[in-house]
Amino acid sequence: MTGDDTGLAIDPTRGGGSIAGLSAPSSTSTSLLDAPVPAGGELDDRILAAALTLITRWGLGKTTLADVAREAGCSRATLYRVFPGGKQELFLALGRAELASYFASLVTCIERAATLEDALTDVVVEATRGLTGHEALQFVLEREPDIVLPFLGFHQVDRLYDAASAALGPALERFLPDTAGWAAEWVARAVLSYAFNPSPVIDLCTEADARDLVRRFYLPALQPQPALAARP
Amino acid sequence: MTDDVRTRILRAAVTCVGRYGLSKTSLEDVAREADVGRATVYRYFEGGRDELLAETISFEVTTFFRRLALEVDDTPDFPTRMEKGLLFAHRAVLEHEVLQKVLDTEPERLLPHLTTAGPLILLALAAYLEPLLLDVDLREGLTPVAAADWLARLVLSFIIGQGRWDLGDPDEVHRLVNDHLLVGVLAPA
Repeated sequence: MTGDDTGLAIDPTRGGGSIAGLSAPSSTSTSLLDAPVPAGGELDDRILAAALTLITRWGLGKTTLADVAREAGCSRATLYRVFPGGKQELFLALGRAELASYFASLVTCIERAATLEDALTDVVVEATRGLTGHEALQFVLEREPDIVLPFLGFHQVDRLYDAASAALGPALERFLPDTAGWAAEWVARAVLSYAFNPSPVIDLCTEADARDLVRRFYLPALQPQPALAARP
Repeated sequence: MTDDVRTRILRAAVTCVGRYGLSKTSLEDVAREADVGRATVYRYFEGGRDELLAETISFEVTTFFRRLALEVDDTPDFPTRMEKGLLFAHRAVLEHEVLQKVLDTEPERLLPHLTTAGPLILLALAAYLEPLLLDVDLREGLTPVAAADWLARLVLSFIIGQGRWDLGDPDEVHRLVNDHLLVGVLAPA
């Protein structure tokens, strides 16, 4: 039941401890969202890109630091100098960097949009495509859910909503001065729901379906139209 | 009321998971707790320990949503039912000691099961909501099926995480349901 077919060694005596060299987060321990944002130097970028390539190919469990060093064209010593915490620190930094670039692409969508409807529609489409089209993420979700899901479930998901509100809220304030953060969270809820539980009839990767969802359920609540009768 | 043997085994398994965790609960522990023989457990769960634990999680999820449905059974209107449901579900998750313990200590063993069960839970929730939506005025162009699917997604989403809302506060839940979640669903009064 724990993905032994992927070759992951899970030590049954250690409960929620280390899996494939990664500690699962708990409500009190470190999480993806606590990891420092990588400085973004050329060497850091090269190492992170190498790690991403290898994870897409082999998954988290089978990717070793030696593999990453080789793929990045640097020595293991150099890799440890940049990521002294080893595999755990490297993978968390990669997750954080991917999340930051994901949010940045969504902010761009909002900034380009002329109306709230366009902004939310574009964000839903881009966010869904970014999630379902992320090869490394989809690989680990499919093959190593026991490693990656603890970063998304229950205790962690609220922090993900916080992060989405903090990242997208400021850009949405142009349209929603008072409820931008909540709008970002609400959109994140729909994106996650449809990504994890796909609908046979609604595909949020398509603009028409995303726009329909936004028009139908979001705009009436976020931008209520004053009732005609109430006008003087 | 006496449970049938299968239910007794599943209840015993929940108790054992609370005591020892998902990774350390053995088939023998469950048999002892249920006061049946190992062979009996195997008769009901031929796949052994893994099948028993997977079935235990499904059993507990089903029990959770049955209790939720019972809790909201006696409500005057749809919005009140949504409010009561969210309040109850939020509290029930927090107070579920076995769930909280497993989430804290071995989320990697539980979450893959729950994620796999997600689509089925969603279908069950939508199937529960749909007939209720036949009796309310929906916004023009919105079918009960589409409304039920959307509301089921929201309910599940809020059960998993409350986000910026305090789902322990009835006033906040009232605002969330009436000023946000149902605005695009129910026809304006």
